[in-house]
Amino acid sequence: MSGIAARRVHWAWFALIGLTLAVLAARDSLGALMVFPETWVLPMTAWFNAGMDVVVAQTGPFFRGISRALAVPMGWIRDLLQWMPWTLTLSLLTLASYAVSGWKLAFFTALAVFYMVVIGYWAESMNSLALVVMSVPMAVLLGFLVGTAAYYSARADRVIAPTMDVLQTIPVFAYLLPILLLFGFGPVVGLIASILYAVPPMVRNTTLGLRRVNPEVIEAGMMAGATPLQMFWRVRVPSALRQILLGINQTMMAAFSMIIIASIIGGTADIGWEVLSTMRKAEFGESILAGIVIALMAMVMDRMTARAANASRADDAPDDPWSRYRYWVIAVVMTVTILVASRLLPFLHTYPETWEVYPAQMLNDWLTYVLVEFSDTIKSIKTVALFYIMLPVKMGLEQTVSPFSWGFALTPTLKTGYAVLALAGAVWFGLRGRVGAAVLVAGLAILLYFGLTRLPWPSIMGVVMLLAWQVGGSRLALGTGAGMAFLLLAGVWPEAMLSVYLCGIAVVLSFTLGTMLGILASENDTVSAILRPINDTLQTMPPFVLLIPFVMIFKLGDFTALLAIISYAIVPSIRYAEHGLRNIAPEVIEAAEASGATRLQMLWRVRLPLAAPQLMLGLNQTIMYGIAMLVIAALVGTNGLGQRVYIGLSNGDFGTGMIAGIGMAIIAMIADRITQAYSRKVQPAAR
Amino acid sequence: MKKRFCIAAGTALTMSCALVANADSNDPIKIPINEWTGQHISAHITGTLFQKAGYEVEYVTAGAVPQFIALANGELHVQPEVWTNNVGEIYPKAVESGDILVLGQLGLQPQEGWIYPPYMEEMCPGLPAYEALYDCAQSFAAADTFPKGRLITYPADWGTRSRDVVAQIDIPFEPVAGGSEGAMIAELKSAVATGDPMIMMFWQPHWLFAEQEFNWVSWDPADGECVEEEGQSRGNACGFQQASIDKIANISFKENYPAAFALYEQIVIDNDMQNALMLEIDQKGRDLEEVIAEWIDANEATWGPWVEAGMAAK
Repeated sequence: MSGIAARRVHWAWFALIGLTLAVLAARDSLGALMVFPETWVLPMTAWFNAGMDVVVAQTGPFFRGISRALAVPMGWIRDLLQWMPWTLTLSLLTLASYAVSGWKLAFFTALAVFYMVVIGYWAESMNSLALVVMSVPMAVLLGFLVGTAAYYSARADRVIAPTMDVLQTIPVFAYLLPILLLFGFGPVVGLIASILYAVPPMVRNTTLGLRRVNPEVIEAGMMAGATPLQMFWRVRVPSALRQILLGINQTMMAAFSMIIIASIIGGTADIGWEVLSTMRKAEFGESILAGIVIALMAMVMDRMTARAANASRADDAPDDPWSRYRYWVIAVVMTVTILVASRLLPFLHTYPETWEVYPAQMLNDWLTYVLVEFSDTIKSIKTVALFYIMLPVKMGLEQTVSPFSWGFALTPTLKTGYAVLALAGAVWFGLRGRVGAAVLVAGLAILLYFGLTRLPWPSIMGVVMLLAWQVGGSRLALGTGAGMAFLLLAGVWPEAMLSVYLCGIAVVLSFTLGTMLGILASENDTVSAILRPINDTLQTMPPFVLLIPFVMIFKLGDFTALLAIISYAIVPSIRYAEHGLRNIAPEVIEAAEASGATRLQMLWRVRLPLAAPQLMLGLNQTIMYGIAMLVIAALVGTNGLGQRVYIGLSNGDFGTGMIAGIGMAIIAMIADRITQAYSRKVQPAAR
Repeated sequence: MKKRFCIAAGTALTMSCALVANADSNDPIKIPINEWTGQHISAHITGTLFQKAGYEVEYVTAGAVPQFIALANGELHVQPEVWTNNVGEIYPKAVESGDILVLGQLGLQPQEGWIYPPYMEEMCPGLPAYEALYDCAQSFAAADTFPKGRLITYPADWGTRSRDVVAQIDIPFEPVAGGSEGAMIAELKSAVATGDPMIMMFWQPHWLFAEQEFNWVSWDPADGECVEEEGQSRGNACGFQQASIDKIANISFKENYPAAFALYEQIVIDNDMQNALMLEIDQKGRDLEEVIAEWIDANEATWGPWVEAGMAAK
């Protein structure tokens, strides 16, 4: 940015801060700027509901037909998986793992499947598996078709790309109700919800893969005189195969994360329902044991498909029939043997109940012990976090500081002192030429004093739009403004601010902590090896399960929600930080070492700046994960958009839930676009 | 389902179709299983008695909202325990359109409202009257709601009734959604153990009341029926509309399963019975099926006549 433009941005920031302070000074008489007047809110909920009524009335029979048609194969798969002896399922899955990856994964798979048997959740696990087995191929097929359409037609892409964005960022709970109204009830409806949620990664990876095919390969195909169809199947698709396989892997993960939500719709009697029911009764041990099943299934499938995506291409397979078909032969022999054996030895078919191990009570006792033993520590941690971090951001120091909380009242002297200190900080940075830092200090001082939920709405809009303009230009700023206008006009601005407050703190903490852990892991292989399984578990364990221990220890409320969000959103921060720091060219490090940089200098001056694009990507993903957790955090009593989604669902009020869902998607997309634009800006500087 | 199929089959088959529709259906009767123990008991007792009358029964797990869609279109058949004040818009709409038949009350006498442990009356003299809450909200405050009092409400997806009442009568309390039944119970228990302040929206019958003592906040007498959404104010607050717990069925249940319908009409489950069974299951950790079977064995005098009434209608 040129000097003049930069100066103009600085003046814009100063003007915004000045105006905000002016409005806040006269806030009693400027009510309309503090709280968006209700009379300006449009009756969007009613519009959404009216629209939905028409859609249901017109297309209901069509969708019911689809759901009846899908129920048939779904029933077959469920019956098949239930009929198969557990020993057979275990053996076949182990064989498949061995075939794609080797002994290590085969061993892990066998243990994972055996866990499901020992714990006594076999039937439920197989019902969950049926859901995934059904939904993944359908999502892959659908995604492949749509992705191909987006590749060939720019016009289609203009519709498809934003639709995929919306499908991925709107919380599933928001479209659960329309799905129910259209498709009816039962496991098939859960299947459809899973497909909708699992399709976007497949679409994205297919389009991306086809676009990235080397032009030389295509030219060679042309020269050889391939027909368009041959071109597609023989040239483009094989070249894009790796990316497409990555899409299948991600689609599978998405399908697993839908297991619990599908069981909310009902009729599944699967592991998701177990998790839901045990959670409802706050049975910690029971829900953890059931949640581990989902985590294990997801890990096994992830390793298998990820391995297949990275494996060398199939065309260098040996030609002789035995090596080519040996696994199929083994599988058939295995099936026959086990089927016969399980006739003779019934425990091979159905695992005897008396052999089951169910250590739920032990886990519960352990949690109770922690609760009783550490109750004082727990209370003080919570109080400190609330009084000194969360409440100031939410309602401002103005509301928070009182003899009850901080031990003293906020006297006029203290207020003046705070203002002087903030001003001094800003001026100090300003005089040293760091205008950005000066603006940041002034902005933070205002935010902490008044609180996010008590700032005038035009100021917040101004800040976000100015930021968008600075990193991404006028188009981004306009889009951001339109998104926020929707929040205002739909009347969900206060809820949106509550969501932003909770998610914002969670993201800042996750990113700081996660990056620190990532730095440690990048320097120390032991730390890295310890963190990896923890990250895997946090990412694949259904987030619902994480809520229970947190609620029991920290009680209902924002703090518990914050911890739950952090435990889920911290993972990408750790992963991207470690990945970025480990992949710096060794020559650069050597050069820095040669010039005598200390360890800290190395970190701050060399490694972190070089890893900046990866760190930004980590931040972006942390924000997305944090927003995705908001709805689930609403289960422990938060008051933001997430809760409105539930209210809409329970009242059968499509509009309320959908508007809240779109609101969350808007926040996610604004955050996504701004961080991506910023990431693009810092990238050339870092390379 | 069957009816629609008959229409498709055309006129030639009309006779046989009519016969099938009138005779007892052989398909299993589908009963939804919700997420709370009380409902499990009602559902399983109903189901077991259907089995005694010679029907097959299938229990289907279902969320509290989706189940009404299924009950309306016949994918589920009966739901013996519907708390009429916790349902959203879908249920009344289905009743109004005639897809769901309400057979009357199950026999449970529910009570809902705000409960608090007795020691709160020392911290806030004037309780149980709700008027007392205006002045001692701070005794109910917690770190995250200060200076307002902390009121635990039902989970957000059970509706917003406490929030509505708080907003109308304008008491300085911050409603905090309870998240789940288990979380609410955990809160109550730990508060009682440590003597922390506590006020919570709750319901009975519930096994909790067999274990610990709680008092109910009292309200102004209602003028006619108490309306929650509007018209309440300080000095004229009736609190909560008391629920009725209904037995409902899909509209074609009577036609397809006449004997089961006659039996279903007879079933009565009251507070004492449900409380006793809930205590066995939730507190003593016993298996639901085992507890139900035990009750069935011991109480043939109670349910015998119900099944007879059903068989008479066959």
